[in-house]
Amino acid sequence: MTRLSATSRLRRLLALIPWVIAQRDGAPVEEVCRRFGLSRDALERELNLLWMVGVYPYTPHELIDWEIDADDRLHIYLADWFKRPLRLTPDQALALVVTGRSLASVPGADPDGALARGIAKVASVLQIDPATVEVDLGEAEDTTLELLRTAVSERRKVELRYYSYGRDVHTRRVVDPWRLFARSGQWYLEGYCEQSGARRTFRVDRIDAAGLLDEPIGQPPPEDPVPSFAPDPTAPRVVLELRPGARWVIDEYPVEEYVELGGGAVRVRLAVTARAWFERLLLRLGPDARVVEVPDDLADAGAKAAQRILARYAES
Amino acid sequence: MDKVERLLKLTATLLHTARPLTAEELRERVQGYPERDDAFHRAFERDKQALRDMGIPISVEPIPFRDPPAEGYRIHPGDYRLPDPGLEPDELAALNLALSAVRVEGVEGVEALWKLGGQVGGGAEHVAELPSEPALIPLFGAVVECRPVTFAYRSGERVRTRTIDPYRLDFQLGHWYVLGRDHARDEQRRFRVDRIVGPVDVGDPDSFERLPPSDDELARPWDYGDEDLVEVRLLVDAEQAGWARRYLGPDVATEERADGSVVFTVPVRNWPPFRSFVLTFLDHAVVLGPPACRAAMVEWLHQLADVAS
Repeated sequence: MTRLSATSRLRRLLALIPWVIAQRDGAPVEEVCRRFGLSRDALERELNLLWMVGVYPYTPHELIDWEIDADDRLHIYLADWFKRPLRLTPDQALALVVTGRSLASVPGADPDGALARGIAKVASVLQIDPATVEVDLGEAEDTTLELLRTAVSERRKVELRYYSYGRDVHTRRVVDPWRLFARSGQWYLEGYCEQSGARRTFRVDRIDAAGLLDEPIGQPPPEDPVPSFAPDPTAPRVVLELRPGARWVIDEYPVEEYVELGGGAVRVRLAVTARAWFERLLLRLGPDARVVEVPDDLADAGAKAAQRILARYAES
Repeated sequence: MDKVERLLKLTATLLHTARPLTAEELRERVQGYPERDDAFHRAFERDKQALRDMGIPISVEPIPFRDPPAEGYRIHPGDYRLPDPGLEPDELAALNLALSAVRVEGVEGVEALWKLGGQVGGGAEHVAELPSEPALIPLFGAVVECRPVTFAYRSGERVRTRTIDPYRLDFQLGHWYVLGRDHARDEQRRFRVDRIVGPVDVGDPDSFERLPPSDDELARPWDYGDEDLVEVRLLVDAEQAGWARRYLGPDVATEERADGSVVFTVPVRNWPPFRSFVLTFLDHAVVLGPPACRAAMVEWLHQLADVAS
């Protein structure tokens, strides 16, 4: 068991007591431990705190009492003031509603399923209309997401036609799909890519076509969690000076450093993970950005990209 | 003595009392406080704060008929108790799965589950994580209770104060938005929650009737603006056409050419965001018309192309 703070333990006790009281004929100790994440020893230690809890003037019939009977069932008596759990805090209520709405927006969700019913009941006692929160986890074609979900659960390989945004190329890949997850408004597929011989993360909306193969996956999913999106520490860094109109860069990109230059202008440092990515950034910024520091091989990135695009305009 | 024990006793005493109790009375009734006055007061303040941080509603009230007047503390049971939602076992299990699959950054979902009856069944694979913003919780409370909100909002370089009747929170494209009626303009607007600067002032409950939000489809950045609507024709190469069609929607794909490239006709009210969108295609897309937009794009590119050469 992880060590909890005093208030976390108190929160748990204030939830555990009413749950046990609500069970007719006591609650099986094993069940209490499982629901509230306690070992039997830890449960008994927490319950021992209750012996001396009561209210003034602390006559015996004002003290909380508990026992574990011969059938290993826990009973708690005389704790009327703790008969109901503490109301949900606003952030807990929000977490529940957001969670419910998120999963309801995923293709294949059952609108009359247990989750939808549970959220509706909780929302109703909290007097919240769940429709006051709308969640879209990411933009992706439902059919592609469903196919990938099937592939992950059946542990079958998939063949993808994928657009590598950073390198601006289309490729065909065969992937062992490990997991699907949503971050920052996008769905991602993580898996083992046969072409690169390594673990890769694919953005689902950049998959142009996906096919489910009959072949089972070759590499099992690793235990470690979803990869982080922190930029590669070895990626080259650039420093840009931005006019006030380009401050959105601070919101949209993982800026590593920024210095206010007065009048709304700002100097930022960014990691460049791929040349095409940097080209797009400079093209969007135009005259609102001045490149202050850049590795030699990226120095002409903006100008070269603009010339390439202008060549298209010259021909059509 | 264990701190949890003292906090439990304090909570029980405050819930049980029928009248507000002074700090001195609480010191007498709740065992485990330090002897010295200053140490007692420090410990009592810390305990009150700890209980309030947990969401326990301690009210401070004048003590009736007391001379000289003094204030006391109590917890009204009605404020404390969670009404029973009557969850069936499968519903609780589904909530348990959902809370482990979707996380809101910085919010501990497990405590909500304890209150609803504990964790049932195994956890699910972690599927999604949504960011949280400081303004999100107060806005959520305001939406639920129909309270108007006032906040400072950053738009470009300017920060202006806005007052809105908030109707709904939306999470889309990786950002939280609040939708509501802007008092100054008297029309529905959408605000990005991470552009709210500083605290949110919350008004009185039941101040407005929540209307169904008018725009259910998320507007693209080039839909916001006060310029005249222009229909921009954009040619996208075959390789990128699939992604463009998914992003822009099939309705605006107006012509498919023999080589697989597609012409989109997109209504644009705000040119700079659309220009940015077109540039993400690098040299795989060309603005065909109208001539003013094409010329604007060419001029923009020349500013960049001519610097180095």
